[in-house]
This record gives sequence, C-alpha cells and structure tokens, in this order.
Amino acid sequence: MSLGALLAQAGVSRTAYFSLARKDNILPKSLRSIAHALGAPASAFLLEEAEVVRGAVRLAERAEAIARRHRIADRDNVRHTLILLQKKPIERLERGLLRAQALHTYR
Amino acid sequence: MPRRSILTDKETAFLRELVRNRVPFLIVGLSAATLQGAPVVTQDIDLWFKNLRNPGIAKALRKVDGIYVPSIGLNPPMVAGENVELFDIVMNMDGLQSFDKEFERSIEVSLGRFKVRVLPLDRIIKSKQAAGRPKDRLTLRVLKDSLAVIREESKMTRQG
Repeated sequence: MSLGALLAQAGVSRTAYFSLARKDNILPKSLRSIAHALGAPASAFLLEEAEVVRGAVRLAERAEAIARRHRIADRDNVRHTLILLQKKPIERLERGLLRAQALHTYR
Repeated sequence: MPRRSILTDKETAFLRELVRNRVPFLIVGLSAATLQGAPVVTQDIDLWFKNLRNPGIAKALRKVDGIYVPSIGLNPPMVAGENVELFDIVMNMDGLQSFDKEFERSIEVSLGRFKVRVLPLDRIIKSKQAAGRPKDRLTLRVLKDSLAVIREESKMTRQG
C-alpha cells in the first residue's frame, strides 16, 4: 500500500502526517512529564493500551469461534456473555438490573 | 477506589438473612440468568420459596424493615417496604418440576460473603419457553446463545 493510499484510508492529511513525522517524540509533553514524575517510561502508557487491545482481540477471536461452532447469528450475545463471565456474579446481577443501566452507560 | 454497589446494603442483607435463617428459596427468572452471565436486563429479583409460611422469611424481612403481604384477590403475595421492593415472589414456575426437584438441580452462586441457590440457565429457558409470554420470547434467543457460551467456557475450564 502506498503512503498516499494509507493516509487516505486512515483519513489523515499529508500535512498532518509530515508534521508528525518531523517530531522527535510523538507522545504529548504532559504524558512524558507524568511518566517522568512516576519514574516510569512514557511507553508504559502505550503498553497498557496495547494489552487492552490484545485482550479485546482474544475475546473477539474466542467469540467468533464459539459463534461459528454453535451457529449463533448474534455475535453480541456471545461477546457480552464472555465479558460477563469474567466478572463476579454480584457484578453481573448489578449490571442486569435496569436501575443500573444509566450508571453503567456512563462508566 | 471502592466499587459502587447498585444493590443497597439492606437488599443484600435480606438475601443474607434468608440464607442465615435456612429458608429454602431459589433466585429464578432473568436475575438468575444475569448471575450466570447472560447479558439481559431486568427490573426485579424473583424469589421462589419452598414454603411461604416459613418463619425465617418474616425474620429476614424484619431485619430490613420489610413486611410480607399475603395474596389479596388475584394479586400474588408480595414483600413490601423500601428495602425489599426490588424483590418479587414467584408462586410457580411454568414448565418446571416441584420446588424440591428444581432445588436439587439448582446451582450455588457466591454473592460475596454468602451463597445463594439459583435456578440453572437451562431451566430458566425451559420455564420461559413454557410460559410463552411475548416478553419471555424476546429474551429466549439471548438466553440460548448465552447457555452455549457458558457451556463452552465451562468445558474449556475443565479441560484446563
């Protein structure tokens, strides 16, 4: 894929791309300052995000495998069940109570 | 940061007191389904008692300032009071066997410091199929899908 095609697909302008490419460090200064104060590398923030992404991918793959095996049309039912199975029963119940919906929507 | 609980202390206490007083009861319906991992929503917690005259029920209610209201006309018995308004009493479960039979095959679920007996998801599905109300039919697909997932996960856990 050419750079132009990639930027078009990502919805990023060439100006924005070259502005980014010229920077020594693309992490925000505030993030680097916080990391410095914590005595941690700024990349730690990115690694944490990467772990979340990996977890989401694993979940999606597991959901897909179960959905195919059982011919379940609605992947959401599978994915949401898998997510709830990672939680304690009391938390599952609380999420299921209608009065909780507003709270969880904004969490 | 401590997790904010949706259930109040008194609501949890009511269930705990029922268990402490050895009242045979089951959590049934969609709240039982959510406890097992089904992604459904409900507005109440349905309780199926073996015997509504069990004195332990009144004891548990007194602890949380609730009262028992017997059946009036066509209205089923209920519990009343701010701390127990979340709970509904279920008199019979369509398509299922006696309380004792269903209690035998019920599963135990931890609610933190105590455990409650819960109607298994396959029995909830059977009951909803038998009841056949429009609101039951709406949730059946989700419940069946969830049961398949829960069985898969359970199989995987057993296999290590």
